[in-house]
Amino acid sequence: MAAIVAEKLTKVFNGFKAVNEVSFEVKEGEIFGFLGPNGAGKTTTINMLITLMKPTSGHALVAGYDVVKEPEKVRGKIGVVFQDQSIDRELTGWENLWLHGLVYGVPRSTLRQRIRQLLKLVELEGFANTPVKKYSGGMIRRLEIARALIHRPEILFLDEPTLGLDPQSRAKVWDYILDLRKEHGMTIFLTTHYIEEAERLCDRVAIIDHGKIIALGSPEELKQSIGGELIYLKVSENPSLYSAFLEKLSDIQGVLSVKTLGNRQLSLRVKSASTTIPAIFDLAQAAGVKISEIKYTKPSLNDVFLQLTGRALRDEEASWRDHARLRTQARWRR
Amino acid sequence: MNEFFNAMGVMVYRQLKRFTRARSRVIGSIFNPLIWMVFFGLGWSGLFTSSMAKLLFRGLDYMSFLAPGMVMMAIFTASLFSGMSVIWDREFGFLKELLVAPASRTAIILGRSIGDALTALAQGVVILAASFLLAKQLTPTGIPLAVAIGLLAAIAFTSMGIALASTMRSFEGFNLITTFLMLPLLFLSGAFYPIDSLPLWLKALVYLNPLTYAVDATRYALTGVSSFNILHSTAALALSAVILTLAATYTFKKSTIE
Repeated sequence: MAAIVAEKLTKVFNGFKAVNEVSFEVKEGEIFGFLGPNGAGKTTTINMLITLMKPTSGHALVAGYDVVKEPEKVRGKIGVVFQDQSIDRELTGWENLWLHGLVYGVPRSTLRQRIRQLLKLVELEGFANTPVKKYSGGMIRRLEIARALIHRPEILFLDEPTLGLDPQSRAKVWDYILDLRKEHGMTIFLTTHYIEEAERLCDRVAIIDHGKIIALGSPEELKQSIGGELIYLKVSENPSLYSAFLEKLSDIQGVLSVKTLGNRQLSLRVKSASTTIPAIFDLAQAAGVKISEIKYTKPSLNDVFLQLTGRALRDEEASWRDHARLRTQARWRR
Repeated sequence: MNEFFNAMGVMVYRQLKRFTRARSRVIGSIFNPLIWMVFFGLGWSGLFTSSMAKLLFRGLDYMSFLAPGMVMMAIFTASLFSGMSVIWDREFGFLKELLVAPASRTAIILGRSIGDALTALAQGVVILAASFLLAKQLTPTGIPLAVAIGLLAAIAFTSMGIALASTMRSFEGFNLITTFLMLPLLFLSGAFYPIDSLPLWLKALVYLNPLTYAVDATRYALTGVSSFNILHSTAALALSAVILTLAATYTFKKSTIE
């Protein structure tokens, strides 16, 4: 059974289609990501799946329950980490987890034990009795992840889990997420606008722009979809031999296209650089051409986004909500 | 049913716990009525000494007339603001997290308003204690009734704050409400001056204002003087509390499911 099924999910705000007929399926035990720029409809989609918003049309099943008809049942099966900090800053880490567990009806003795385990998992056991307002952004995020796990959800939703974190905290959060999947087989749905995050974490990625899914597949599949890898070559001079070499290059198996860049430089589009590079060397040797430089790059998901939309994946104009969020966060950090 | 009270209890506990930790906020909301009592109350009570003035305030000196109003003002402002802080909680805070929990939204919002009401009442009690130091004609035996009226008023105005915040989509409305709602409600409540001789059109507003009944009932409890029968004012306040609680529950539920 699929953990999440969305069919033509649509949300319209005052005539603006924030999410436009989005359909996808998330398998059990999978890390599934929504990648797209700010305002693409990622958070709106999550909000519909976690029963905070009603879809304008279309429907969705989460853990087998309809998000509109049985929201209470869905809520019992999911854990959520919101994009904005949603923790009580006046209370301690322990108190936050304690109150959360009580609301979910976890028995008190079990709850005590789980809080201890989870605080250990996210390496905050030393800060259990510190008010959250003294935590750093990374610590708060880790506490929120611990909190989302207290009631043992089947599906974990993470909305921009590492937004605003420094690289070290980000790497730590990634480790926890990967651990959760490995050790508990948890299904995880996350949104991000960080390419690296999607590539590192997700089994499958849906690229979303202007409320529509424009590509869906594993990061590898998506990258291959735009035509494999790129090889850059520089050969030493020898005009007569060079032109013969050039002709034969495009005959090598797996070479999709050859472009001359002038000054004896070439760029090749290939299916797989690792098998093509040896063939290029063989050919060069046979033709008597000397290769002076060679390098290859893999296309990133950013190239995929670029190819599909003609734009790079970057932050769009910040909304008032973002401004308010940054202001409050800046104030809290002091 | 068990889960309902569980969620409600969690919210009450949380609001109380926060209250004990946010000292600066509490001091701020207590100082406002204290400043009124000391600078405004003491100032005027030096002038209102003639027998004519005594008649105006039905035999009370001005400070004793003003004090019950200031107790209610403390409860009113604290309740309204803490109710309205639900908007912050919903956008950036803890509340959002509770909305995805399998807990009743009615329980969450009732628990929150009870918790906030208790903290507002605590602030009112501080002003009540100060009143006994400043005003001479208050009767200590009226304290239990004044506290009960205070709790009822606190529930009513916390709910009013929640209902207002739930219908707001941004924070700009916040300042508008302080100017166009809080101040008029305060001045038209009989907290500062007797309402009996107001022009008719203002009187109509005074009668529609739930704060009027809260102030009048508190004044009755503490001094024995009132414009309404205590049973009538208590009934009016209780009715307001019920209506506002229903409004808070309804608007909150509506605002969280789009």
